[in-house]
Amino acid sequence: MTNSRVAFRAILAKDLRGELRSPQSLPAMALFAVTTFVVFRFGLDRTSLSGSLASGVLWATLLFAALLGVNRLFVAEREEGGFDAIRLAPIDRSALFAAKAAALFAYLLALELVVVPVFAIFFLDSAAALVPLVAVLVLADLGLAATGTLISSMAVQSRARDLLGPLVLLPLVVPLMIAATGASEPLLAVGGPGYHRFSGWLGVLCLYDLVFLLVGYAVFDFLLED
Amino acid sequence: MVALLAGAPALPLDEAGKYVAGAYVVFLVLLVVYVAIMAAKLQRMERDLRDLAGFAENRANGETAAPGRGSEGQSISVSSGPSESRGGGR
Amino acid sequence: MYGKGLRQLSIATVVALAASLSLVFFYAPLDADQGFIQKIFYLHVPLAITALVGFVVGGVFAILHLRSGDRRWDAWSYVSIHMSVIFGVAVLVTGSIWAKASWGHWWVWDEPTLVSFLIVFLMYATYYPFRYAIEDPERQGRYASVFAITAGAFVPLNFIAVRMAQSLVHPRVFATANGGLPGSMMFTFLACLAATGLLWITLVKLELTAKSASGQLKRLRRALDAPTPGGGSRIAPEVS
Repeated sequence: MTNSRVAFRAILAKDLRGELRSPQSLPAMALFAVTTFVVFRFGLDRTSLSGSLASGVLWATLLFAALLGVNRLFVAEREEGGFDAIRLAPIDRSALFAAKAAALFAYLLALELVVVPVFAIFFLDSAAALVPLVAVLVLADLGLAATGTLISSMAVQSRARDLLGPLVLLPLVVPLMIAATGASEPLLAVGGPGYHRFSGWLGVLCLYDLVFLLVGYAVFDFLLED
Repeated sequence: MVALLAGAPALPLDEAGKYVAGAYVVFLVLLVVYVAIMAAKLQRMERDLRDLAGFAENRANGETAAPGRGSEGQSISVSSGPSESRGGGR
Repeated sequence: MYGKGLRQLSIATVVALAASLSLVFFYAPLDADQGFIQKIFYLHVPLAITALVGFVVGGVFAILHLRSGDRRWDAWSYVSIHMSVIFGVAVLVTGSIWAKASWGHWWVWDEPTLVSFLIVFLMYATYYPFRYAIEDPERQGRYASVFAITAGAFVPLNFIAVRMAQSLVHPRVFATANGGLPGSMMFTFLACLAATGLLWITLVKLELTAKSASGQLKRLRRALDAPTPGGGSRIAPEVS
């Protein structure tokens, strides 16, 4: 196994183990999301959602919950000198990007495992949409993981880091959100899941993921230069 | 020929004309504002260059006048230099 | 030497702008659908295309900066993006005026190009607070280049997504204006595009020359050991 792959697994394992042992991000993200659902219930004055409203509420909530996780992604590295360690190690520095993106992807999946069923219980009439929704969720999470890791790694080294991450990340993920909601809306329609332009939207999601995974991987070396 | 004249701005301003004029005015205003900002920068640069020139001249004068003087003495005489040249230059 | 050729560029820009504006108002025929309002397109669309190309060019300069480490590319990248953001303000305002004239509202969500542009503008508007938040100048330049590259990749993706999101009920209005343009309109449009492009290049060069001059001033000041007044930009890259 190459050094980089060892490093990748080590960093990813450290992150996941850390989160499992003393969960900080995940409970906060999940609680935030569920509370936001309650806010929407009263803000929109509706007890059941379908179509574009359901899609919008779900994705807006997931996005803002994800931002909480993104903000915390590199805090340990910053505080404990993880960046310096990577700089000194004889490995491909993009291994850090890959590992952190994989960790963030895992957090997002875990978040959705809890939050999406809650959403269905709160607002949906049937769970039929949830199965095809998984594809949309996975692809969107990949995109969020790539961009979130990239932006967070820069924001963490700046002043006002809690502000800068969401500020730059939000416009960046707009195309992702457009595609995710576009795919979800017919899935959550009243009569049962529809697949209007489903493959098209999935295509856009794949393209987005590909582009930003590549960009992130390619530029990460320059980010860590001293 | 009529079609050409129909496009000319000399016609009385109907509703459409106001909007078109507004768009072009916005463009012009932005351009002029940019020029104004560059002018302000240029003005500041000119003032700074003038100060620097005065400073350099004073230092050159200070050196030719008393080559043996220590650097502390020079900076004391020099610090009053820029304000002098500012008054003299206008 | 950033100022080289600036005079010739400005003269060319003035000539091009005067010529294309004359074409717009004295040569181009009236549009059958939109009437006189269509004349806004000769301003709005070239500004938009120039701004978008400018953003991509800023990304290219950023790549050059990262690969060579030469801070001058960072300056080119910053000014390109800066100028495109300013042009972007003009695009959004003229677009809004066009929307009001055509649809009666100061903003319409039905026009995918305009909406895409708004999102792109919002993205690049974060460039300034982003640069400002990074204190170390060398790191600031590097991170800004990463931003410019990321945002450059984002631009086409954004347009694709927004276009796909358009409901098929509302036809694209720019299609009726640009699709199948008669020759005289196309010629006028291209002239305006060339003039706007020249204007962008001239202003970028002007800005860089000004930055370079103030950089030389700092250098002179340092060489003379002169006292420095306070101030100076914390976000713009130093050019010398």
